[in-house]
Amino acid sequence: MIDLIIRLGRSGLSYSEAIGRSSIFLFYSFFGLGLSSKGMKLLVHQLYKVGVLSLVIIVVSGLFIGMVLALQGYSILVDYGSEQAVGQMVALTLVRELGPVVAALLFAGRAGSALTAEIGLMKATEQLSSMEMMGVDPLKRVIAPRLWAGLISMPLLAVIFSAVGIFGGLLVGVEWLGVYEGSFWANMQSSVEFKEDIVNGIIKSVVFGVVCSWIAVFQGYDSEPTSEGISIATTKTVVYSSLSVLGLDFLLTAVMFG
Amino acid sequence: MLQCEYQTGRLKALESYIKINELHFSRGHRAIFNGVNLTIPKGKVTAIMGPSGTGKTTLLRLIGGQIKPDRGEIILNGRDVTKFKRKELFDARKKMGMLFQSGALFSDLSVYENVAFPMRAHTKLPEDMIRDIVLMKLNAVGLRGARDLMPSELSGGMTRRVALARTIALDPELILYDEPFAGQDPIAMGVLVQLIRLLNDALGLTSVLVSHDIAESLSICDHAIILADGHVIGEGTPSELKKSDSPLVKQFLNGLPDGPVPFHFPALDYQTDLLG
Repeated sequence: MIDLIIRLGRSGLSYSEAIGRSSIFLFYSFFGLGLSSKGMKLLVHQLYKVGVLSLVIIVVSGLFIGMVLALQGYSILVDYGSEQAVGQMVALTLVRELGPVVAALLFAGRAGSALTAEIGLMKATEQLSSMEMMGVDPLKRVIAPRLWAGLISMPLLAVIFSAVGIFGGLLVGVEWLGVYEGSFWANMQSSVEFKEDIVNGIIKSVVFGVVCSWIAVFQGYDSEPTSEGISIATTKTVVYSSLSVLGLDFLLTAVMFG
Repeated sequence: MLQCEYQTGRLKALESYIKINELHFSRGHRAIFNGVNLTIPKGKVTAIMGPSGTGKTTLLRLIGGQIKPDRGEIILNGRDVTKFKRKELFDARKKMGMLFQSGALFSDLSVYENVAFPMRAHTKLPEDMIRDIVLMKLNAVGLRGARDLMPSELSGGMTRRVALARTIALDPELILYDEPFAGQDPIAMGVLVQLIRLLNDALGLTSVLVSHDIAESLSICDHAIILADGHVIGEGTPSELKKSDSPLVKQFLNGLPDGPVPFHFPALDYQTDLLG
């Protein structure tokens, strides 16, 4: 019994320490990216790696999810003679929920894991140490551009995901299943509110962007500098990011739409 | 011969660049340093030697402020590294260079960009001047022709030499070498040995060399320190160490398996361990 309490206490202390360490890490990294041309050049390079290279998976997934939503929605709505509402159903589902959430999950799997592995490997091969010894702060040079690239990319990727998803819904609903195109767009326009739906969806994706990028860069920076350590850190990035996104989505939905 | 001998009396009279007082450092429950005191003279090559696991690389990291000791002082050029704030530490590191055992080149940058990296980070030199300095540094290590190669295209010896060119890019006052000869072929080792000595003398540096390679280290150093069991077990000029009566120093310099320094990591009795 005493052993159990000791173990619980030890793991509690260890988690508290990790949270403290990661918060200080976030603070230094967040304010570490200067507005100099050097900082901007590094940011643009990372925006390409983190954002642009994630476009393929985001666009393809968005298209298929939009198509599936239209197909499922149509098969339910047609029973009630409301198949004209398939456009608003697809748009609201994507803009409010699936756009930010699925884009964040894909982002964690594709870009987050890559960030963790890259930073972990830089640590294992002493590249971060050598940078420190040259008087260059890795938090500013390596971490900050990657963190900011994640923060900026995530909302944009979520918006692209939703837009492509709506296009997928259009393809299936209008082109394939024969829903009248005018009703498809008109119902969508009348039911999707800019502030209520689109802005709230973007706020969600900003929060997910902060969380996913923070977890990814911290896990890489804090990893054990061994092949096993990097493997564990990469796994943790995907698991922690996914769970955080789903948990936070519930909380944000409760606050925004509850 | 490159060896630069001088008397102990002269060493004492020399100005110290690094002074370590009562250094204590542990990893978990294992004490790595147990009250280490040592002095590294300015403008000289100092070799720190000792068996594996005695904390030679750890000592370099402590000097560079990458890790903090449990207790003790590390006085670098008159200031205690252990009390530096983050910004002070990064400023102090601009005057020091460290050659890592793996070279630690940035894998996404070419040889040229690796050497240019510290200048781009800390100076506002025009591009043509950076180019000239990079080529001069690469020429000093014999790799001017390899400027466009990527680190993955270099051999181990070449990697170490490029890393050395990068280390001296900003003309530091202090260079810390972590096992510079490990895994090198005889030619690369000979080149590195000469380079370390020549760079120290030509640029007026202070060099600290951590190595297992006794012959090479003693051939170029002015002062040598042997660490074992958390303490300094021997110190002096190469010739003084070779004449030392200390069984610990003799065992290390002659590579004897039996002696005061145990070959085995502390463990249960062998028989008990096998038979239970």
